[in-house]
Amino acid sequence: MTNSSSIITDVNAHPTQDSSAGPDTYDLECRNILKTFDGGFTAVDNVSFQIPKGSFFSILGPSGCGKTTLLRMLAGFEKPTSGDIFIKGQSVTNTPPNKRPVNMVFQHLALFPTMTVAENIAYGLRQRKVAKHEIGDRVKGVLQRVGLPDSGNKNIAQLSGGQKQRIAIARCLVLNPDVLLLDEPLGALDLKLREHMKIELKQLQEEFGTTFVYITHDQSEALVMSDQVAVMNHGAFVQQGTPHDLYYHPKDAFVAGFVGESNRWMGRISSQSANGLEITTDSGLGLHGVSGENQSFNNGDKVEIFVRPEAISLVRGQGDSNNSNQLACHVVNVLFDGAKSQILVKDPQSNGEVTVSMPQTADFENLRKGELLSLSWTTEQTRCYRVEG
Amino acid sequence: MSLRTPKLRLGLLLLLTPMLLWLLLLIILPHVNMAIISLSERVSAGEYAFSLSNYAEFFTESLYWNTFLRTATMSILVTFLTLIIAFPVSYYIAKMLRGRTKGLVFALCLIPFWVSELVRTYGWMILLRETGVVSSSLQWLGLTDGPIEFLYNDAAIIVGLVYTSMLFMVVPLTTTLDSLDDSYIEAGYDLGGNGFTVMREVVIPHAMPGIVSGCIVVFMLTLGNYLTPALLGGKDSLWFTEQIFTQFITRFNWEQGSAFGILLLFLSSFIVWLGLKLSRQSFTRVMS
Amino acid sequence: MKKTMTKTALCALAASLTFAALPAQAETLRILTWGGYAPDNVVEMFEQQTGIDVEVTKSNNEGMISKLRATRGGGFDLVQPSQDRIVSAQADFNIYKPIDLSKIDASQMIGSMLDATKKSTTFEGAVYGVPHVWGTSGLVVNRDKAGSVKDYTDLCNADVAGKVSYRLKRPTLIGFAFAMGEDPFAAYGDVAKYTQIMDKVEKKLISCKANVKTYWEGGDALINLVRSGEVNAAMAWDAAGWKLNNENKAITFVSPKSGALGWIDTFAIPRKADNEAAAYQWINFVMQPKIAAMITEAAGNFTASQGADAYVNDTLKAQYQESFPPADVDNIKWYPPVPAGLEEIEGKVLDRVKAAG
Repeated sequence: MTNSSSIITDVNAHPTQDSSAGPDTYDLECRNILKTFDGGFTAVDNVSFQIPKGSFFSILGPSGCGKTTLLRMLAGFEKPTSGDIFIKGQSVTNTPPNKRPVNMVFQHLALFPTMTVAENIAYGLRQRKVAKHEIGDRVKGVLQRVGLPDSGNKNIAQLSGGQKQRIAIARCLVLNPDVLLLDEPLGALDLKLREHMKIELKQLQEEFGTTFVYITHDQSEALVMSDQVAVMNHGAFVQQGTPHDLYYHPKDAFVAGFVGESNRWMGRISSQSANGLEITTDSGLGLHGVSGENQSFNNGDKVEIFVRPEAISLVRGQGDSNNSNQLACHVVNVLFDGAKSQILVKDPQSNGEVTVSMPQTADFENLRKGELLSLSWTTEQTRCYRVEG
Repeated sequence: MSLRTPKLRLGLLLLLTPMLLWLLLLIILPHVNMAIISLSERVSAGEYAFSLSNYAEFFTESLYWNTFLRTATMSILVTFLTLIIAFPVSYYIAKMLRGRTKGLVFALCLIPFWVSELVRTYGWMILLRETGVVSSSLQWLGLTDGPIEFLYNDAAIIVGLVYTSMLFMVVPLTTTLDSLDDSYIEAGYDLGGNGFTVMREVVIPHAMPGIVSGCIVVFMLTLGNYLTPALLGGKDSLWFTEQIFTQFITRFNWEQGSAFGILLLFLSSFIVWLGLKLSRQSFTRVMS
Repeated sequence: MKKTMTKTALCALAASLTFAALPAQAETLRILTWGGYAPDNVVEMFEQQTGIDVEVTKSNNEGMISKLRATRGGGFDLVQPSQDRIVSAQADFNIYKPIDLSKIDASQMIGSMLDATKKSTTFEGAVYGVPHVWGTSGLVVNRDKAGSVKDYTDLCNADVAGKVSYRLKRPTLIGFAFAMGEDPFAAYGDVAKYTQIMDKVEKKLISCKANVKTYWEGGDALINLVRSGEVNAAMAWDAAGWKLNNENKAITFVSPKSGALGWIDTFAIPRKADNEAAAYQWINFVMQPKIAAMITEAAGNFTASQGADAYVNDTLKAQYQESFPPADVDNIKWYPPVPAGLEEIEGKVLDRVKAAG
């Protein structure tokens, strides 16, 4: 990491003059970005955000939520219908993609198959008319830093999936972009490699110190890698915050459901007190819960109730607990997945299925189908969100 | 289930039989026959003897040699022009158009080829002749005083040949360009390239197999074309295939005609080989 | 089960091949001829009278010889090459069989023409052709615009520059040779002399090339060129000139000063003819004066049929008389049989003319 300063030298030479927007502490800022397509479809609806220098920012949302359109506007492939994009305080809204100090890692990487690895990486430098010997040095340096120092002469087809990822990133980072955009680049990888690449991407980002904007529909990718995550739905940002915030303090039912796993019930508020809410689910269960962030209810309001699988305590057979919510269930299935193993149980009263994390203790090793389990969880871990309509 | 039972091999053989028969009966045998004929010389009525004189004739009579050179040069020019014209068309179809319009415009390119080459060539004659559409329009617009003859010159031959060849360039080009994912082009721009460099470094290298295979097909078809140069070229339509035709049909000199045919085969193959070498493409890759 | 299916399939294949190879049931007569020599109305009458199907293939002298050479004299039952082209082709390629004169109704033919044709198509003692249609090659001229063109070489005059067309074939060489004061027919037997004449003609044709708009290939193309006014003077067949005269009185066929070139197209039987009898039937049928007149109507040329003139329309007769004053008829140069080998000399001359720029 000591040689980083020799590689990351600023050749982009884009002016970074101060703008009236304030100090350029933000690498990227979007103000009221709106994008409507012919036919009146609004893909991106009035989105504003700021990304501080050197952070890993993820935009998380289901497919069709507009995140790809937003990313393409950042890259310059689409023009916003209205709104402004600033990079280091400088508006780039009318700058064509080849003049923007941002680079993009495409979903399928788009490494040029007709060029070798070194030629791929040198491509952008050549466009900038960097001197030949300097190109050689910088290509070598960046290959070193992504851990593939001997791959320069290889053809793209000779690389493994993970190596391709790293080359695609190296091809962008060699240009020292202000912002690196990543369009679900891990989607095409198999699970094991994906898990590995998550960590590697995060490390690369920290090592290079470049601001990453990463879009994905996979909440685990977003949570693991990001400093900040924005959850997007129907073209708008629903909530923006740290992964911890999103996971533990979801702002609404969509975020609560989309980020992390949850057991859900639909129900109505039956009474409210200082200790919390009394809810009756549609299937007739009585639960004790709290209202989610910024929510307030009247009795009889329709709500959606979320309980995370890992928040539920288990006892084999009949058992008592201090927790306010208790449920006796039968095991339907054991979904064994090592440390992430889960138990699927059925509550005989409402006939609803509940997913519970399997405790990693010897007690639960020989769990059988049909066996009785006592479930319990606290009031605080039972979050209620208003259901509109 | 073993795949190598004799029965299955017989099945494969039966499947290949029509193609092998076609190759043998319609391609190889006639060529062997032509090679044999080309090596004989008429001594007197009904009497023939072995001789290389037909080949010697080609190299010693500057007329035939020059005709071949002229044909080859013009074919290369036609191939090049066809490529220059067909590339933007194919690029537009493959990369700029979407969905139904794409299919429609592609089909529009094919429609002229539903009529025979003869009819198309006569179409050009109607346009270009002295009393034709172009000449009369120019007079009507007052751009010229008298009628102009556009036919019967090399330019007319080239125009006709380029038109005839378009399809065979547009189809392989559109197919290869269509297979180029848009993200490669976007990546080209994103990394700082401009329209020219993206074209040169990303699009053209990708389209190279299509370009080369289109060029080979167009070159061979142009070199072997008979009708278009004869009809549009008029008195100056010197074309090598015409020489072969003349030798066979109007001179009854099959020996000379066969020698020319064999020479055309080898010389054109040589030019294609040279083209592949220069563009560093392999024949099998280009044709796959 | 599988085996039986294969067997059935093989049998079906064999059966279909056998049927395909069987000759068609109805009797057919396959004629290889010039356009207009077997017009539809005549074919229909013949089919009705005899029950024989007639298949007509249109071609020209070279095409006929090439086709027969390729099949070694098969594929057709009757062909119609010009009388001067039969002997050399027979000597080189052995594609014809002698005519059985006993099967021809000689009384329907003009005696002098029959005798002349018999003489010129005799090879090794056998006769290979009888006459059918005759005509001449000369000049088709638009008299308003190219009145100065009186002979073949006048096509090279400056006042018709760019408005001239002729064929790049042997009649052009012969015509120019006559117009340049040579007698190529007399030199047929003398290769050296003939080569010398052809060299002279070659020089003339090369120097004349700038005058030429294009070399015409088919009769229709020529008629189009003259009709549209793109060409005002051409070397062509008399029938083409008369056809154009019907539309535009200024255009007609002109017998050149050095003499029109006379040709006679014949009937000849290919060596491997399948239906010789029908061929003789056809010959005797079309030489009937009334039928012959119908062919004259279609082809624009007169036939060797005795008495057919009586049925030919008056326009054509008048056009003929205008183009051929009696002195010009005597001046017609009839093609003698071409000795083998001459065409090779001519071929190179034509190639060089074509290549000259």
